Amino acid sequence: MTTARDTIVDALDIESFVLCESEKEARELVGKLMQSLGLSRFVIVSLDFNGPGAHFRVRAYTNKPGDNYTWLKE
Amino acid sequence: MKILLAPLDPVHDAGLKLIRRKLEALGYHCVLLPPDITVEEIGEAALAEKVDMIFVGRTVGYGVEQLFRRVRHVLTVQGVFSKVRIAIGGMAVTTELAQSLGFEAGYGPHTTIEEIHALIERNPELARHITHPVKHKPKFPFPHENTIKDSTTQKYLDEIVDGILDWTSNKTSPGVVRARITESQLRGVHGSVESYTALPFTRDYLAQCDEAVVDFFQKNICPPSVRQITQQEVDAYNHRIGIAKKHFHPRVLQHGRRKPLVFVQYGTGCPMMDGMHIKVAESWGADGVLHFDPAWGARTEGLMDGFLANVEDGTPVTYANLSLIKRSLDAATLWTVRAHRGLNTPEIAVLSGFLGADLTKINIVYGSICGGTDPARLTVDGVDAIRIAVRYHMPFDIPTNEELAGVPPHKAFAGMLIMAQLGRRLGAQPILKPLLCHGPYIMVNELMEQNYVDYNFAKIRALQTLADFPIWPGEPIGFMTHSEEKEQSATTTSLHVAMCSTLGVDAVTAASTDEAFSRGSITSAGRVGALRSIEEAFRFFGQTDIAPSAKANEWTEALVAGINQTLKAVAEAPSFVEAVYAGVLGNKADGVYPGRAGRNSVIATEPSGVEVPIELPADLAHRVSTFGE
Repeated sequence: MTTARDTIVDALDIESFVLCESEKEARELVGKLMQSLGLSRFVIVSLDFNGPGAHFRVRAYTNKPGDNYTWLKE
Repeated sequence: MKILLAPLDPVHDAGLKLIRRKLEALGYHCVLLPPDITVEEIGEAALAEKVDMIFVGRTVGYGVEQLFRRVRHVLTVQGVFSKVRIAIGGMAVTTELAQSLGFEAGYGPHTTIEEIHALIERNPELARHITHPVKHKPKFPFPHENTIKDSTTQKYLDEIVDGILDWTSNKTSPGVVRARITESQLRGVHGSVESYTALPFTRDYLAQCDEAVVDFFQKNICPPSVRQITQQEVDAYNHRIGIAKKHFHPRVLQHGRRKPLVFVQYGTGCPMMDGMHIKVAESWGADGVLHFDPAWGARTEGLMDGFLANVEDGTPVTYANLSLIKRSLDAATLWTVRAHRGLNTPEIAVLSGFLGADLTKINIVYGSICGGTDPARLTVDGVDAIRIAVRYHMPFDIPTNEELAGVPPHKAFAGMLIMAQLGRRLGAQPILKPLLCHGPYIMVNELMEQNYVDYNFAKIRALQTLADFPIWPGEPIGFMTHSEEKEQSATTTSLHVAMCSTLGVDAVTAASTDEAFSRGSITSAGRVGALRSIEEAFRFFGQTDIAPSAKANEWTEALVAGINQTLKAVAEAPSFVEAVYAGVLGNKADGVYPGRAGRNSVIATEPSGVEVPIELPADLAHRVSTFGE
């Protein structure tokens, strides 16, 4: 394995709370956040908007079943 | 030995009070200083009391390094540091911090009294069971009478089982034939994975397979979602598993209870990802794991071979794949391979048996009305698979996930009890696997509007009223109560485990926190989240039970009556198979229907030895629909 990211078994989850005024805005913000982190292949696992903003968990798969796993590289 | 316990907090000294109580029980003479003392007073007390060792505790985490640096300086000036052994402890204290400051040891918030005892005596063996715990594989299932307790239920079940055994006595199928060939070949190579994989597949075997399997062996063509795993990948994987085993410290979830054991299901599609998930689950306390295969595997005649990965849910059953997973398991982990619902049921039972699986899974009814397999075919194959399970000493569980399609619990349970009694008659060890779910029938009839407790209690109590078999709710518990939110998912799983603990069941199958997430595969972190939550639920409830309301008794009685009514209808049908076709154990109105895979593939074995395919009359469903409902 060459990088810390290569040691992730399957996916990197990010959970946080964004300040926004709608669920739609929250989804857009999460998308921009992931792009800015260089994780363009992502899926929102859960997102719950209320009051000041949205609680979310977003996932970027690094290894999907059947892939050539990064954690098997020398 | 005299030990000084010194709290360096303004008010907190609970940890040191606890240590004092336990050390005094071990025979040590302890002197506990009050809180709100200075560092200088610790040194003075140590000299005055002539202690052999000092434990300095600091609960509050901020500024801890500077504080202990000062402790060392003051005690050095007082002449204590060089004379007395000193250990430090607290929320932010680590072994590394203590050693870097020159103390003998440091203990954090999870340090046990055994570890402190070992430190005092300088004898690591005293804490070996904590630092190097050993988990033994439980003898599972736990002992039961394995009998039907209700005489009415017994009468119907005996009639039905007599009919099944009579009906299947002169029938075979391609699945049974393949299982015989596979078993013979495995015996020939003494179960060796390498030798078996290297065997040329015989014309006899391929004659009983679908085109996709024939193409795989003869033309090396994989199904679209499948790829062959290279030997280089397997070698790298085995190396990784070796590392995981080296650092493995088993964990027990149950907090003093013997049961329920906690199983997790795997079947990511790839045996290597499965293996890594299994190592994660074992490390966070899972007692057992279940292999799930892809749906297409159940509808295809014949099994492929070699190391295969599927990019969709369900890991292909091959002898090589199963052996790779088997080699990944800890010795204490119970291993189940499901055989139950498709056209390869007997053959999978053979492979599992040869590899030493602890358990398998067989349910003719579920596979017939919900798994897509023809009832006649699966009855022949299911009976044969149970006989194989007996030969290889594998208890089998009987899932009732047809509830997820809308089948009422009393019908699903009737089918489960038929399977259990069939298993007993054939000498097997059946395990009842009721589904604890918020399923369609329960939703429509508003049986869980108030809570998830009462109706689930009624389901388990109904089974316990009628029979004494091991009970292992799944698959998984709390089905359809999970959301995509991690905390909610973990909570509902752990509360279902706590309820199962009260109900005295033998095991549970627990979901990951990704249970309701359908846009990607389950993650290893999701398994950790659920298992940690389960561990905490066991810790929270301990030996304390959950009490249902009176409604549970009312529903228990209704379920018992419904089960017996269903069994009566099956017993009165011309045959069990025709009852299944007719929907007595679940029909289109319930949301299920007889499967088509393998239809008309049952073969009659005439006394002359000639095999004759059996074609079922086209109007069968119509003919038998006059009984039952």
